[in-house]
Amino acid sequence: MNDLIEQLKRQIIKALALEDVVPEAIDPDAQLVGGPLGIDSIDVLELVMLVEKEYGLVIDSKELGARVFTSLRTLADYVRERSARGA
Amino acid sequence: MSGSVPPGAPDAEPMSAPRVFICGVGILSPLGRGLAATAAALREGRRGLAPLELFACPFETPLPVGEVRGFAAAGDLPRTHALALAAAADALEGAEGPPDAVVLGVTTGGMLSTEEHLKKGFRWPEPSPYHAAASVTECVAAAVGCPGPALTVATACSSGAAALKLALEMLRRGRVASVLAGGADSLCRLTYYGFNSLQIVDPDGARPFDRRRRGMSVAEGAALLLLRASATAPPGALAELRGGGLSCDAHHPAAPHPEGRGALAAMTAALADAGLTPGEIDYVNLHGTGTIENDQAEGRAVYAFFGGHPPPASSVKGCFGHSLAAAGAIEAVVAALALREGLIPGNIGGEQPDPGLLLVPEAVPRQARLTTVLSNSFGFGGNNAVLVLGRPELAPPPVRPAAAAGWVVEGAACLTGAGDTRASLEALAEGRACRGILPEENLTAHLPPRSVRRMKRLARMSLGLAAAALAEAGPGAPTAVFMGTGWGALSETHDFIEKLYASHEFFASPIDFVGSVHNAPAGRVATHFQATGPNITMTGGNYSFEQALAAADLLSPEDAGRILVLAADELHPVFSRVFDPSVALDAAPSDGGGALALRRASPGAGPVLTPGWLGPGTRPRAVARLVEHHGGTHGIRERYGAVLAGIPAAERETGQGQLAEFLGLTGFGGPVVDYRRYTGEYAGASAVAAVWAQAWVRRDGLPPAVCGKRSPGLEGRGVLMLGLGAWLASCALQAGGAP
Repeated sequence: MNDLIEQLKRQIIKALALEDVVPEAIDPDAQLVGGPLGIDSIDVLELVMLVEKEYGLVIDSKELGARVFTSLRTLADYVRERSARGA
Repeated sequence: MSGSVPPGAPDAEPMSAPRVFICGVGILSPLGRGLAATAAALREGRRGLAPLELFACPFETPLPVGEVRGFAAAGDLPRTHALALAAAADALEGAEGPPDAVVLGVTTGGMLSTEEHLKKGFRWPEPSPYHAAASVTECVAAAVGCPGPALTVATACSSGAAALKLALEMLRRGRVASVLAGGADSLCRLTYYGFNSLQIVDPDGARPFDRRRRGMSVAEGAALLLLRASATAPPGALAELRGGGLSCDAHHPAAPHPEGRGALAAMTAALADAGLTPGEIDYVNLHGTGTIENDQAEGRAVYAFFGGHPPPASSVKGCFGHSLAAAGAIEAVVAALALREGLIPGNIGGEQPDPGLLLVPEAVPRQARLTTVLSNSFGFGGNNAVLVLGRPELAPPPVRPAAAAGWVVEGAACLTGAGDTRASLEALAEGRACRGILPEENLTAHLPPRSVRRMKRLARMSLGLAAAALAEAGPGAPTAVFMGTGWGALSETHDFIEKLYASHEFFASPIDFVGSVHNAPAGRVATHFQATGPNITMTGGNYSFEQALAAADLLSPEDAGRILVLAADELHPVFSRVFDPSVALDAAPSDGGGALALRRASPGAGPVLTPGWLGPGTRPRAVARLVEHHGGTHGIRERYGAVLAGIPAAERETGQGQLAEFLGLTGFGGPVVDYRRYTGEYAGASAVAAVWAQAWVRRDGLPPAVCGKRSPGLEGRGVLMLGLGAWLASCALQAGGAP
């Protein structure tokens, strides 16, 4: 689980060009959108693409997106559960 | 009136307050070709949306789009160009002589063809002459034999409407007597996949203002309108273009301000311009894309603007789809048809009004006598343009006094291979060139990394330039932003297509898509500095800065206060060489740009920047007309102590010839600086030269090292800037207090 969180941190930093952020600085339980990282709705869509590309999971509704991208931990939980189910 | 009076020419003596009438229309859209077909489709409430056929798409069910069926581009011309040419021919049918100017809104230019090239690998043998958005306008201007300027507005989805407003101002001020104006865009992968990556495409086709709406339908088309200035309606005039209003949300790169702040401001400006009150508007043609956010913001803005009692309103995007730069022009045609036919188009596709939107559009087409129509267009970057059309027999709109000529330079900044303004001027003082590529981190040295996180090279350069120019200008925010760029955000465009193809067209980057539009950098600048007035991006190859300056002069409100005019281009390792033949000829690549904080001229203040001539470069007497414009031989020798000549490498022969002709005609004896030898080759180089010129006017002399054997002193005189080559574009910098 922690490996997945660490992996997601690296992927998010790269995808969103968070040049001034180190992985350790991301709190897995902090609010992801509108939180300390300054992530907004366009970033979320970039993350939707990331999750689909890297983990084969489609997030195509605002409601689902709002739930999945609450925090890094909710994202990791979603990826872990769904990937496991699909595997 | 002569055919080639440029937008920068001084205002003619007011005839009898010229009004602007729509005297010809060419339209190609998913609803067919021509006015009659369009009117018939609107009367039936026909929906022109169907699954994409134009290019292959890996989706199980291709998304519905608005495609112009049964239309194929001939030869090697891209589809946008072909659509625009067909519309131009239709608009001019029966017209006597060519229009004095062509002004088009275009967003993706030859993108569809570029994408085909890129599919075969990211290289192709010959530079592509038709990639640029401006090449659409230039192609039309050449085909119709236009003797005057060809200007291209690139403000994403409001481009077509903004182009009509720009044309309106050129005509009102008597600078031209006729303009062929409108917009064109073909479908392409960039927009098809790009809007889908933002999850704002409705899989069931656009349902504007419907409670079930899920987004827009990307479409294509072209609408060109022949506008004529006249004191009274010419026979057969379809409608009067009474006014237009521009604004910027200054809120977000893609999403509208939730309360429709910018929309409200643009509608307010448009009505004031047209001399009408909200109660006098009979029908509102909504932007109504069908996205959740747009319709919500627009519904609120319209509700507030009309004091809770909006007139009949509808969006036609359920019929046409959203044809981006063409949309504003297509909808101006719809507005004109509505007036002529007494037809309120139905809000097709939106069957179940959303009770949360405060606005219930007209569900089906119906007859009604209309005398005035308001037409909304909003775009990425928060760039808004609203037009007002009226029946030709209405009382004329108010006449506004002509603004003072020229702009005081309050602050200026450039970025070059040598570094910032100071580093560049120091290099020049030693006679060294400023070529090269500045490292990315130096572009926005004074801005926090978080504020430029999602920006690639051009946007960073633009924001860095704006910040530096404003810092020099001192306290006071800009109200409006005018940007020129020859090639736009090449990095984002490249990265978007590269990632798309790498994923076999399954994945598209929303960040790159939003950043890829030409007006993204100016939108970021406006958001950063909260500039909520007009926000216009012009693109015109090597003359983009001059076009932006002309637009600033024509479109800035009288009370604009401080405005920003900037131009920049980035060097992209793959694209720049294939698109820009001058870059291809330069052994050492360069890029950069310049920004100027300006205010309408007042006597005694700092250097004054004045837009000059803009017209084709190789027509008979082209140089002679430019000389006449700047006061003839005598005037030029008296007013200017130096000439800065911009000669793009690919047009060196033409440019040298024009310069020789200029010197021969004027006998000019001062220094002539061939500035691209110092800047290197990029479309935005003339903005850099303008920044240098204002610094030298301020110091009353050029660095001797760049003047050869000629005397570097200006002795109170100004600097004339000449853009040479395929077009002639000039502007002038004079010492404060000069006439």
